[in-house]
Amino acid sequence: MRSHRGLFSVLCSLLVLIVLSGTSAAIPAFSRQYGTSCSTCHIDFPKLNDFGKAFKDAGFKFPKDDESFIKVPPVLLGAPANKELFPRSIWPGTIPGLPPVGLRYNHFFQVVSANRNNFNLQNTAADPALSQFIPRTDFQSGLFSIFMAGNFGSDIAFWVDDDISVGGSGGAGGLGDGYLKFVNVGHFLKLPTDALSLRFGQFELDLPFSPARSWNLSGWDIYDQPSIGSSTQNVNNAFALSSAAQGVEISGGHQYRGYHYSLAIVNQNTGGTPGSGANVPPVVSYLSDSNFKDIYGRFSYRFNLERDPASRNEIQAAGTAGPRDHTYLSLGTLYFYGRSVQRFQGQDSGGTPVVLTAREPFYRVGGDFSFNYHTFNVFGQFLYGRDQNLLPSIPQGLPLPTGFVVGSPAHFSGGFLEADYLVYPWMMTIMRWDRVNSTADFLNGVGADQNNPPASPYLSPVSSVRNRITPGIQFLIHANIKTSFEYQIRPRQIVYLPGTNTALTSPFRTNSAVAGLEFVY
Amino acid sequence: MARNLFKIGIVVLVISVAASAGNISGKVSGVSGESVVYVDVVQGKTLSVPSEHPLIDQKGLMFTPHLTVVQVGTTVDFLNSDSVAHNVFWTSVGGNKKLTHNLGTWPKGEKRSFKFDNPGAVPLLCNVHPEMAGYIIVSPTPYYATTDKSGSFKIENVPDGSYTVSAWHEGAKSQSKPVVVAGDTKADFTLSK
Repeated sequence: MRSHRGLFSVLCSLLVLIVLSGTSAAIPAFSRQYGTSCSTCHIDFPKLNDFGKAFKDAGFKFPKDDESFIKVPPVLLGAPANKELFPRSIWPGTIPGLPPVGLRYNHFFQVVSANRNNFNLQNTAADPALSQFIPRTDFQSGLFSIFMAGNFGSDIAFWVDDDISVGGSGGAGGLGDGYLKFVNVGHFLKLPTDALSLRFGQFELDLPFSPARSWNLSGWDIYDQPSIGSSTQNVNNAFALSSAAQGVEISGGHQYRGYHYSLAIVNQNTGGTPGSGANVPPVVSYLSDSNFKDIYGRFSYRFNLERDPASRNEIQAAGTAGPRDHTYLSLGTLYFYGRSVQRFQGQDSGGTPVVLTAREPFYRVGGDFSFNYHTFNVFGQFLYGRDQNLLPSIPQGLPLPTGFVVGSPAHFSGGFLEADYLVYPWMMTIMRWDRVNSTADFLNGVGADQNNPPASPYLSPVSSVRNRITPGIQFLIHANIKTSFEYQIRPRQIVYLPGTNTALTSPFRTNSAVAGLEFVY
Repeated sequence: MARNLFKIGIVVLVISVAASAGNISGKVSGVSGESVVYVDVVQGKTLSVPSEHPLIDQKGLMFTPHLTVVQVGTTVDFLNSDSVAHNVFWTSVGGNKKLTHNLGTWPKGEKRSFKFDNPGAVPLLCNVHPEMAGYIIVSPTPYYATTDKSGSFKIENVPDGSYTVSAWHEGAKSQSKPVVVAGDTKADFTLSK
């Protein structure tokens, strides 16, 4: 019984992770505009079905004959005939006939176990206020978000979402995505339809599986993985693939069949925690300090596997009992290249104080797959990350560094494997395995820096490999109301005596049970 | 002379038949919108089945018309005019769930047909657009009518006799009542949801 209770433990960071995961969902504005249900585009929102993917590809429009489906006519910002007057007239566009606003709210309940304060109990002497601050059960407000999306005519799509409130406090949220997408601009170059689109603004990178629009209660660990070096390295790269990016992206192809690609040039976004040593204040939130931009690219190909060619090439497969998602296999790859910025107090060769800037090249490379058979979908992602390690070089006899030397790189790898099965249109079961292998996590946790012992005990993973198994189940109460349950079997942790390898606790798992309720309208 | 007598006989026969048929008129209240009123069974009379096929279109994510009334034995054509995939299925006919049927999927511009041999209300659905709804009311007889905006109806040329007359409205409980038709007959219904 006691060990069973021990399975129910959670860290505060977990809750933060949950609350911050998934920053937008289904779009009620589209339901209003087209007079159709959420399930036209979503399986268990916000997970997209094949039609939803095609709708998104087309710039938030029906891929064919869009105007015949709109129940609320758009407002003309110029008669179509004005096109003939161009350039002596403004190119005519439209705005949605209804304000394309959707709102989302969610709420969480978590259960934690008796071992939830193993770390804090050890820390009580240093800070009594920390004692047992993690409650056993807890209701938590999540997000109240607003999102707007639609099409301005002329194949110009827009999206803006913003968290009005996070965790019950107003103003704590922020902008998620905000962009304009010029769909199918390739026709100016006589390229095939949908071969080239252009997107400007702030957006989530074109990841194989969107963390911002994830249907899981907790995010995929690998997409949130920063690269933090060990105590012998100088890598403090807070960049994670789930971070919002500001820049420009070209893309093409389709998500529901055949090829899809994207190539983005985005601002640097690597502000992190300070490394040990004589740092100047870290560059947290400092987006870019040079003209150098990070680069992200993705390519995927989806094979629809129906035998009938007509069905295979349609947006949805023609099942005997009605249209359905294709049976398909999708394979993809991604690559991100950037530079991580850190600054240090240093000096030049003459002894004059200067700020030394380390711009450490790093990359992330990964592969992904997704296989779907009727209502069963299994998919996964593998990712490898590598950061060059520039160590401050302090010449003999000088107090401050004058430059950098290349040290051993920091790296991590991992990914996830998830299987979703839609038992009924209103019930989806989920089984997920997250894995991250980061030596830095382990080394930082053990913290056996005998020359610079910390003041308080260390909470550390037992292994450099963090595995998490997450079964879950979700129910649609209505097409716009969902309740979700998730049980996370988390990796083992341990608390060490400062500056030693002496364990203060037995290894324990910070498992957690979380329930969420959310609705969009 | 014989020929004139034959003509007179025919005229007398037609007049006598006409004299034995009546109209059922009345009002359906308690609900708003279109309702259907039909005569359930006409004993001892063989009823011919119409040869024409009514058409139900799927256009703009809607069944058009929303409500169709046919005589039992009628074949209905289902057309997909949308550029998105649809299907048509129903979960029951007249509340009998054993009569559920799924017509499957077909491309834009093509039709599928189905002959309705069982009377009752057929709720039409599309499994990819759950907001889509349509109804076919399969009347056991050719004696049926739909109401106007005020709820009034008139079923014409019903042979004199005793019948059960039913009223149907979307989302309301159907109601049946015995009606004796002798010339013009009144029958009012009050339905509730």
